[in-house]
Amino acid sequence: MKISYNWLIELTGLDWSVEELSNRLTNCGTAVEDSEATDRYMDKVVVGEVLDLKPIEGADKIRLATVNIGSETMDLICGAPNAAKGQKVAVAQLGANLVGDLKIKKVKIRGIESCGMICSERELGISDDHSGIIVLPQDAPVGQLLAEYLDFKDTQLTFELTPNRPDSMSAIGLARDAAALASVKVKKPEIKLTESPENASDYISVKIDDPDACPRYAARIIKNVKIEPSPWWVKKKLIVCGIRPINNIVDITNYVLLESGHPLHAFDYDRFGSKEVVVRRAKDKEKFSTLDGNEHTCNPDVLLITNGKKGVAAGGVMGGLNSEVENDTNNILLEAAYFDPSIIRKSRKHLGFVTESSTRFEKGADPNDGLIYALNRAAALIAELSGGKVLKGIVDCYPNKIEPKKIKLRFSRCHALIGKELSKKRIIQILSDLELAVEDKGDNLSVTVPTFRPDLEREIDLIEEVARMEGWGNIPDAITNIGSLFTPLFDDDKFAEESRIVLTSAGFDEMVCHGLVDSKLAEKVNPGSQFVKIVNPSSSDLNVMRNNLVMSALPVINHNMSHRNMDLMLFELGKVYFPPDKNGEWIEDNRIILVVTGNSHINWREKPRAFDFYDLTGAINSLSKHFHLSEFEYCPGKIDYFEDKLSYEIKFNGTVIGCIGQVKASLAKASDIKQPLFLAEFSIKLLIENSNRVGDFKPLPQFPAAPRDLAIVVDVSVPAGDLLAGVKKAAGDLAEKVEIFDLYTGKQIEKGKKSIAISISYRHPERSLSGEEVDERQGKVIRSLKEKYNAEIRDK
Amino acid sequence: MSVLDDLKNLESEALERISNSGSLDAFNEVRVQFLGKKGSITAVLKTLGKLPVDERKLIGASANAVRTNIEENIKSAQNKLSTCKTASDFDPTLPGTAQPIGTIHILNQVMNDICRTFYGMGFEIAKGPDVETDYYNFEALNFPPDHPARDMQDTLFVENDRVLRTHTTPVQARFLETHKPPIKIITPGKTFRNEAISTRAHVAFHQVDGFLVDEGVSIADLKGAIVAFCKAFFGEDVKLNFRPSFFPFTEPSAEVDVSCILCKGKGCQLCKYTGWLEILGCGMIDPNVLDNAGIDSEKYTGYAFGLGVERIAMLKYKINDIRLFFNNDIRFLRQFI
Repeated sequence: MKISYNWLIELTGLDWSVEELSNRLTNCGTAVEDSEATDRYMDKVVVGEVLDLKPIEGADKIRLATVNIGSETMDLICGAPNAAKGQKVAVAQLGANLVGDLKIKKVKIRGIESCGMICSERELGISDDHSGIIVLPQDAPVGQLLAEYLDFKDTQLTFELTPNRPDSMSAIGLARDAAALASVKVKKPEIKLTESPENASDYISVKIDDPDACPRYAARIIKNVKIEPSPWWVKKKLIVCGIRPINNIVDITNYVLLESGHPLHAFDYDRFGSKEVVVRRAKDKEKFSTLDGNEHTCNPDVLLITNGKKGVAAGGVMGGLNSEVENDTNNILLEAAYFDPSIIRKSRKHLGFVTESSTRFEKGADPNDGLIYALNRAAALIAELSGGKVLKGIVDCYPNKIEPKKIKLRFSRCHALIGKELSKKRIIQILSDLELAVEDKGDNLSVTVPTFRPDLEREIDLIEEVARMEGWGNIPDAITNIGSLFTPLFDDDKFAEESRIVLTSAGFDEMVCHGLVDSKLAEKVNPGSQFVKIVNPSSSDLNVMRNNLVMSALPVINHNMSHRNMDLMLFELGKVYFPPDKNGEWIEDNRIILVVTGNSHINWREKPRAFDFYDLTGAINSLSKHFHLSEFEYCPGKIDYFEDKLSYEIKFNGTVIGCIGQVKASLAKASDIKQPLFLAEFSIKLLIENSNRVGDFKPLPQFPAAPRDLAIVVDVSVPAGDLLAGVKKAAGDLAEKVEIFDLYTGKQIEKGKKSIAISISYRHPERSLSGEEVDERQGKVIRSLKEKYNAEIRDK
Repeated sequence: MSVLDDLKNLESEALERISNSGSLDAFNEVRVQFLGKKGSITAVLKTLGKLPVDERKLIGASANAVRTNIEENIKSAQNKLSTCKTASDFDPTLPGTAQPIGTIHILNQVMNDICRTFYGMGFEIAKGPDVETDYYNFEALNFPPDHPARDMQDTLFVENDRVLRTHTTPVQARFLETHKPPIKIITPGKTFRNEAISTRAHVAFHQVDGFLVDEGVSIADLKGAIVAFCKAFFGEDVKLNFRPSFFPFTEPSAEVDVSCILCKGKGCQLCKYTGWLEILGCGMIDPNVLDNAGIDSEKYTGYAFGLGVERIAMLKYKINDIRLFFNNDIRFLRQFI
């Protein structure tokens, strides 16, 4: 919200600078976001008189003006259609800096030199009006600085108000906080209202059909008004507060709204259509046109102000086109009502727009003194500025009075919660300064909260007031040791943290995805599966939650490829999401994905090679080693998004926990990935449960190991894993280590066969093994390989 | 004086060999050849006995001097070799050939830094689901039914009355239901908003919330904890400003500014010339939140706070576009190795 600094100073009588006011209000919770001097575009802008205005040959849109600015007479080019000889105008001199970074310099147009500019309101930051130049009153003194002449030295303060403080949405409300900080009283403008003898009740009556939605409706009649532009002092305040002046009646309702915070509405009494106000819910599909010219189809969520027959205003939101104040309006019906916040919320949601009025009612206006003050203040101003006569009395329908709340505040509670002992006197002073009625009851206070503070409902709300007015900066910082002494690490985080170190050490970069994906891609990756769907996606390509990590990794790979990052080793630790299972449980599963594509890092010693499947299993192996997990198994299994020939399930302790393989070329291509892409994805829940960071100590071997190497030729289809398992089984517990150290297919080997070299290290824990013992075991190994896999032993 | 000439010649031959040798083995060879039992200098010394006394003295002294000189030269050449093992064909400036290491995502690095700081202050970690019920995300946290956050324009809704959580505070509501005070927890995690993606806003961001509930917890305790965290995280000389604010789940509430980490409060582009950076929100847990979870709000009070990980990462590393975090461009990721 924007409010004039001068206005706050007028209302409080304080001598605080803009900076002091801003800082002090910010530190009590009414935050000043920005402040801008209103005359910041008026430096070097003076009052001038148009002495002459001549057409320029060959140009029909611009004219040559001769202007007297007191110190000199200058020629300048003017394009405004409303410029005329004899006018008093605003002249920007050389060096002036206007709205939109427009700097006034000497320019030559059609050979004529122009040394200044006659300004519109927009160029000076007064309003958005750029239809023509400003025409000043004839008595404006030539040569005077415009800002001085207009008395336009002010600062526009922009407040960022919290939603719980509707009372601060006005000059008086903000002044109340400022005044309370200085322990002074707000100087609310006195109302000088003279009523004429005629009774308002002879002209209008009020009936409320739904007093829950509209607890109070009060009205005044003002006769014989003259619609005119408002005087400058009204316009100026509206402009500084960011509101466009229209005419005296509309301006006054806006002025009083800004001043008091209470929204008002002025009807043209003669267009109102009856002598009766009836407040009721709109009927389903009832048509109503608001004064902005839009026709709405209402429903009972909209509260209509009617003349007994048809709607004349959408209560608390916007007036109707049919009863709008116009230039020929003579008599005014002025409304000040209080609407329930929830009906206004529903109503403006149905109508589809918010107004200054709806925002205030929705947050909570004052049904009592504030309402009457605003009504009388506006009536008095209308009488003063339009020459109208205010009829006697307020026509007021208020069937069930809303009483101020009484709240008990215990001093002990206040001290305990703030953590600082404030004196009784100080607490009473703070609350009284905020215009709360305080009664001392010994160890507690009975606080009566005026109805302009709907946010204060409980003891804690009063403690908040005490804390914010005392200032959080004046509350000490306590160093306390509360809570448990022992802080266990969260297993999942420990696992994640260590996995990150293992995988980055292996060369993988970590990615983080948000988990929202495009359903079109998701369907392609995981067809026929169930997704958590977003009802109101912020964009159509983020409309489901991923149910595997592949669908969020593909766009990342695509992004990198499109920036020529072709060699990628990536991983992510993230959640996947599933809609409720048959027990109604929403499952979120923590997983790891590993991705490799492109070539290994270039260095001068080795040739780069293409990443493949084994770069993934190698990394997985590092993880399983790090966490002392039993070995992972890779079993052939069909996964939709993998190439059939390279598609495996990952098993851990016999349970399928994920999959590994090469992404189908067609799917990769759909994401613009044109090179082989390998990935593995698996759930980490079981791994966390089974991980054991540190194993038990095993005594160091006392006796020497006996190494034996073995080279065999088998069918290419025999899995190396089976061979290793076979060797281990045959060698028995004496085989300490079994490793493959060479793999060969080629010229020297029969087609369809492969040569595998295996090294076995034998060791006995309690004695040295004899050569015979080792040979015997080795013989057993060879026999079993021959029998089981038809292995042929190669001579070395 | 041919023996003396021989010695001279042997000496210069030895010194030349030393200066041309580049390895310990080569030096040993020189030593053996000249000074060893069968070495050429040793051979000269062996002949001394046959010489007249005058000559013996002269040649003996000279031979010993040559011997010492050769030994010293070998020693200093060896020293040179052990301090700088440069051989003409060796280039130590070639890059080492270890597998280059990868990078932990900057968000997780910052998240970890934050969590570790709170961990050191005795906070435990708790987590909850990303797809959250309306109850835990809003109702249990004292959001009135018509709070604007519950509007479609702010929150991403899922079917069955579920939402993508808009903060990690629902973990607080869940934890309070199942635990008894004293409770001291942080809740790091991912959160979601219905936002148009831009340089400053995204549909998802990371948050670390924390809370403490016990008897007699006050604003002063909250301030102490926040000050301790900020000093640990931003440095001892950081200044803090607490501005009263409003959140549905805390009362009273405040926003915390720290003195700009770049200009130290003098005013710069990062802090928009205010000298301050808004860093976190905090407050005393609203009694309704405690009561909703079945904790007696008369007996127990508590504080809560929350900070945005992206915001802190952006401030700390001067990252100007929030989208970079989720793009996962390796050129971005690897800057934070």
